[in-house]
Amino acid sequence: MKCVMNKLIKSSNIYLFTFVFAFILSKSFVVFANDEPSPDIPEGIVKISKINPDRNVGYLMGDILKRTIALDVKKPYKLIETSLPIVGYEHRYQGQVSGIELCKISHTKKENDDKTSYVIHLSYQIFTTAPVVKPAILPAEVIKFQGPASAEAKDGLVQYKIPEFYFRISPMAVFGAVKIEDDMSPLRQPILLQAYPEKEKLVASLILLGLSLVGLLYILGSRAWLPFMGRPFAQAGRHLRGLSATNTDDLKTALTCLHKAINSTAKYSVFSDNVSDFLTHSPSFKVIENELGQFFELSHKVFFDTQDTSAHDKNSLVWLKRFCKQCRDCERGLKPANLKKI
Amino acid sequence: MSDKQLTDWRQHAQNLESEINKVVVGQQTPIRLITTAIFSRGHVLLEGDVGVGKTTLLRAFTRCIGGGYQRIEGTIDLMPNDLVYHTYLGEDGKPHVSPGPLLMSGENLSVFFFNEINRARPQVHSLLLRVMAERTLSAFNKEYHFPHMLVFADRNQVEKEETFEIPSAARDRFMMEIPIVVPDDNAIMESLVFDTKFHNVDALVNTIPADILQFDQLNEFSALVQNKIEASSTLRQYALNLWRATKTPSAYGVKVSGVDMNRLVLAGASPRGMSMMLRAARVNAWLNNRDSVLPEDIHAVFHSTVAHRIVFSPVYEMRRTEIARELLTGIVNAIAAP
Repeated sequence: MKCVMNKLIKSSNIYLFTFVFAFILSKSFVVFANDEPSPDIPEGIVKISKINPDRNVGYLMGDILKRTIALDVKKPYKLIETSLPIVGYEHRYQGQVSGIELCKISHTKKENDDKTSYVIHLSYQIFTTAPVVKPAILPAEVIKFQGPASAEAKDGLVQYKIPEFYFRISPMAVFGAVKIEDDMSPLRQPILLQAYPEKEKLVASLILLGLSLVGLLYILGSRAWLPFMGRPFAQAGRHLRGLSATNTDDLKTALTCLHKAINSTAKYSVFSDNVSDFLTHSPSFKVIENELGQFFELSHKVFFDTQDTSAHDKNSLVWLKRFCKQCRDCERGLKPANLKKI
Repeated sequence: MSDKQLTDWRQHAQNLESEINKVVVGQQTPIRLITTAIFSRGHVLLEGDVGVGKTTLLRAFTRCIGGGYQRIEGTIDLMPNDLVYHTYLGEDGKPHVSPGPLLMSGENLSVFFFNEINRARPQVHSLLLRVMAERTLSAFNKEYHFPHMLVFADRNQVEKEETFEIPSAARDRFMMEIPIVVPDDNAIMESLVFDTKFHNVDALVNTIPADILQFDQLNEFSALVQNKIEASSTLRQYALNLWRATKTPSAYGVKVSGVDMNRLVLAGASPRGMSMMLRAARVNAWLNNRDSVLPEDIHAVFHSTVAHRIVFSPVYEMRRTEIARELLTGIVNAIAAP
């Protein structure tokens, strides 16, 4: 029995290894097939237009060069998008890294009736320098297309080489002017990064935070910038300022507004029959007791007297505005100016 | 002419108040309210402790109004027929029927004074419902009318034994329920105790000039007052807001200490109650020499015309007086006009 089991295990292991080996082999074959040079695409299939950097000299380490390649590819050829160079890819020249790295790539595709237009944006960053001007090259990128099978390309895979771009990398210092080897003191601190952008961001954030706090204070302070601003009579005063003495409805609006201000101050509805309670709880208004009486008299005439319309004149609104100012003074604990009778 | 009538009657009303204030001291507010009720043609229920002068006050008013006056004492064995007729054996040995207090004065009955109304049975309250609302009574196959009748009733809230709670329907017939409390003023309290003129109530009431008002002209004059005194649209809106607040006080932010406001009110003021409130407010405006009703006129009669009409949850009924006072004060404080 044991012998049979061992056989079974052994045979199953063999199957498993065979499967894994076949899988790895097939994958490596695919990779190998993709990297393998393909025949060039037939002439006339690809029409290229390029936008290269506007100059080809004066580049320093760290500079970014941008190229835009527009390809019009006749159908049925299609770009194999996985054949596009990937970010971080660094070309080698004679086994040496070139110091020019692809840092960004994007492309767009537009289908037409007989062709497909591809626009490829390439950004390369320079990571090399030299004591003298150095020739450099944005490499010729090889991209692949899937087309119909032919004698040269049985699998239909063909390639196209985007022409390279030649330029010059400038040195970062005058040759011989700086000899870094003479200035290699271990006490010298490392060169620091410039912190200006971070400082600007910090200042901007602090300003934003400050403005937010001010806004919050404004909201918490009943939407008033100063401690006395948001109080009922101050608000009523602002509302009354916009009212017109010629409009009869504005008189009612003004009276209503002042009633609300008095009620808000007292925290209950104040009428002429409980105005004495209001004065007891808000003694700062005691100095305008007579004016409060006149106010309620005017309110009675305007709102409740259906026959006497003598109160509906422009003087009433003028008086109300002054009365409101008096109340605002009382609200602020100030001594109000005397007010003439209506 | 009507303006002159208004002025003349105002003089009479002020005279009436002044005379009654001489014999019932320290009760200016109840006296003003009863005067208002008389000119609004509304029935009055006085509520207060024992011996605070409720009966004296009503007797004093009765003397001033003139007309027929009848009085009955509420007792537990009082039956509705006791208000309508008496039966007795006459000198001839035969049974006789004589009119009861309601029928005795006929159409001239101006004041029916029901003392200690809460001692009477619900059957009696039921009879009163019709008499108060319609001022008519059916008896002996005949309908009797009492066009000038006002019901003055009183009850004390202290005693609960052998008493019956007046149902809300009966309470609603009363225009006003007026609390009578002992005045706080030391001089008045001293006077009530030591002044000998207060010892003999009958003699005291008799010092008031009789028939200051002509009872049979009150209905007509009351209608005149109601027509002449106007209510502006702002005031109407204010009254409606007050009415709504009696139904759902919590919606207006009214709170009463120790009370769940969502459970307190079972029924707010009735339309009849609010109508009576406005009638009384108009009379108050007239008494204060105004042509239009002000919110202050409503305030003057709001508690006395509305408090007894609001139906509370049974759990709060025991504290009715205190809760109603706080509730209505809260409503007046919460509703603004304009």
